[in-house]
Amino acid sequence: MRMTPALVLVGSVVIFTASVFAVIVVPWQTMAHQPSAAWRELSADELAGRKLYIANGCTYCHSQFVRTQDWDLGMERISQPGDYLGLSPHLLGTTRTGPDLAQQGGEHPDDWHVAHLVSPRFTRPQSLMPRFEFLGQENIRLLIAYLQGMGGRDADQRVQRQQEWKARAVAAYNAGADENVKWLHDNVPEGWRPLPTPYPATEPSLQRGAKVYQDFCIGCHGPVGDGQGPAAPYLNPPPLNFTTLRRNLVDGKYIGGILYYQIMNGITGTAMPYFKHELESAKIWDVSNFIAANFIGFDDSNTEPAGIDASYEPLRTQKPASGRWRDHGKGDAP
Amino acid sequence: MRLVSDEEHSAARAFLVSGMVWMAIGTTFGLIGGIALAAPDAIRNVPWLVFGRVRPVHVNLVAVGFVPMVLIGAGLYLVPTLLRTRLYGERLAHVGIWLYNAALAIGAIELARGHTQAREYAELTWIPDVLIVGAFVALIISFGGTLARRQEPLLYVSVWYFGAALAVTAALYPLGNAMWNPSTGAVTGVLDAILLWFYGHNVVGLLLTPLALCAAYYLVPAITRAPLYSHTLSMIGFWSLLGFYTHIGGHHLLQAPIPVWLKVISVIDSVMMMIPVLVVLVNLWLTARGRFGDLFASVPGKFVLLGTINYLIVGVQGPLQSLPAVQRVTHFTQWTIAHAHLAVLGFTGMIALGALYYALPRVTGKLVWSERLANTQFWFVFLSVTAFMLVLTGAGLAQGHAWINGETVYRTVPMLSPYMMVRALFGVMLVLAAYLGLYNVLMTIYRGKPVAVEAAEGSVRKPATA
Repeated sequence: MRMTPALVLVGSVVIFTASVFAVIVVPWQTMAHQPSAAWRELSADELAGRKLYIANGCTYCHSQFVRTQDWDLGMERISQPGDYLGLSPHLLGTTRTGPDLAQQGGEHPDDWHVAHLVSPRFTRPQSLMPRFEFLGQENIRLLIAYLQGMGGRDADQRVQRQQEWKARAVAAYNAGADENVKWLHDNVPEGWRPLPTPYPATEPSLQRGAKVYQDFCIGCHGPVGDGQGPAAPYLNPPPLNFTTLRRNLVDGKYIGGILYYQIMNGITGTAMPYFKHELESAKIWDVSNFIAANFIGFDDSNTEPAGIDASYEPLRTQKPASGRWRDHGKGDAP
Repeated sequence: MRLVSDEEHSAARAFLVSGMVWMAIGTTFGLIGGIALAAPDAIRNVPWLVFGRVRPVHVNLVAVGFVPMVLIGAGLYLVPTLLRTRLYGERLAHVGIWLYNAALAIGAIELARGHTQAREYAELTWIPDVLIVGAFVALIISFGGTLARRQEPLLYVSVWYFGAALAVTAALYPLGNAMWNPSTGAVTGVLDAILLWFYGHNVVGLLLTPLALCAAYYLVPAITRAPLYSHTLSMIGFWSLLGFYTHIGGHHLLQAPIPVWLKVISVIDSVMMMIPVLVVLVNLWLTARGRFGDLFASVPGKFVLLGTINYLIVGVQGPLQSLPAVQRVTHFTQWTIAHAHLAVLGFTGMIALGALYYALPRVTGKLVWSERLANTQFWFVFLSVTAFMLVLTGAGLAQGHAWINGETVYRTVPMLSPYMMVRALFGVMLVLAAYLGLYNVLMTIYRGKPVAVEAAEGSVRKPATA
């Protein structure tokens, strides 16, 4: 075959055109352009927020589609073509350096997002996201409006739930420290309340707990557990001061079950997220032990009812009358 | 240097210098982005230096600026040489270069200001888009005129690749950037993702790859002074590249909600991409058989040799990572970033630098100012791109496996840290290489010793045509 200019030119253009037809025009014509059940129009604020999302390249680290293999995310829904109807440009993303945002709406209340955008490490100590304080208050508000709309109608329901519980949480906080704790306790299911931490607060457990605390909790609750972390000024209600729990133990002797439940499930309406996707059971118990031992000054770990000890646990020492494990941290048998 | 000169080779020279300037600026932005990922508070609250703006500046300046501009510059010397004529429309090619440079300058400033189409590889906004299409139209006219006035009846394979790259890009660019929608540069919904990845992958496949192969097909026979191994293989490689590459964009969207048949096509054609890659490499390496030492002995030769080796790696990796079983782990991770760096810098970028050092003495009439600097640049580029590849692939595997094991993304963020630090360190090395190269090119032009006439003529021997 002799490669003449005409052959090279015509051949290239024909192949290119055929390809465009096959992989662009045919999908264009054959795909169903129907909205999904969750789809809705974006509001003016949300569209303005989307422009900020585009301008600042959020799409380079945050994907916007849940894949079939994304079981790590614990999402309730795989993304569908109808979720993206009319959006231009698409923002599906190609890299997931940060979390996927397809269902971000209503995951957190607005104030969490404000703190997070001012400095991502305020709420997420290990984040490597840049600070977006430079956007200014109004633009941060618009960006958050967009984030809270991600997930369409599903997101709207979650946002509404956040708002309802926020009103109650703020009212409880305003009623005073002890009323606040009482409200928090009352919203933990009955079975979880008179429940001690089943694992002993040994030194290794406390060290593991300290690591979890630093990686997940310190930005809001602060290094001494007084709720004065760097994120605190942005949050309403502010993060809990753990020391207020000392005088509000359940039946005067339990706190482990409450800590576990609140860490696992979060407190919707407040900036306290749920951690059940990120922390395995043992890590939640460890950080509960850490908080109890260091900030509450009381831990109920390994008291009755404790069931059969897990095989790795050190032998129990006798429980002193004070209700504290005097040797916690050592884990030695008597 | 006048702005629109009619001096022979002046357009080629302007493209080469411009490409090297964009390499320096583009890699600098890459380093800023790399530092942000290793130390997110190193630069705070500077809007135009935020990672999400720095990254598209980097990507566009290196993938639309540096690599294609250097390769076009080399092509503007190689193609007329192969056609035994001088470039038609030297002034027009100069207009092309100024349009191209204006597009990149305006585009980069726009991106830094947050004006972007937000579609990977298609971020440049409408005005830069128009300027770039204008540049390609100017180049096509210049190339067509050269072709019409050629003294050599046979077209060597480099000419096919050069012509196809220009012609197809002139059609691809407006389509991929949805230039009929100036305000968004996009269509809507999932279709926009399909269109974008058709375009995004074709920038590599129909612009960078053919331009790089244009240079490689010239340099390997010229440096080893051996005839090209096979005309038939050249044709198979050329047509299969066009035929398969154009369908593979969907492999970026294998887990996205696009039609399944489109995914199937993209995976099959991605695997078929082994054919054009291997055919071209067999052809080039059999041409150089027994003379690899000659390649490695010269600066252009070693750049091209390593470029072809990286082409093998990236061209085998690509088909494999398009397989759903592999992508289950690698998709969305730093693995993909590693692949992109290997393709754009390791393969086409290294061949571009080889073509630069080959063409530079021939378009300036001066010896390369410092062979030693050029060699240093080679080793810096080679080491840094290899390190990028290894480090980012490692990071990607760690991320992907952690996710599959049920870890959330937040828990995988801290483990990126050591990888990102090593990557940023090698980024420093690459930026140094870029500035060394630019310095060397400028010193060659302004301070280089003239090439002796006989040597010059001896060394521009045309490689054997088929």
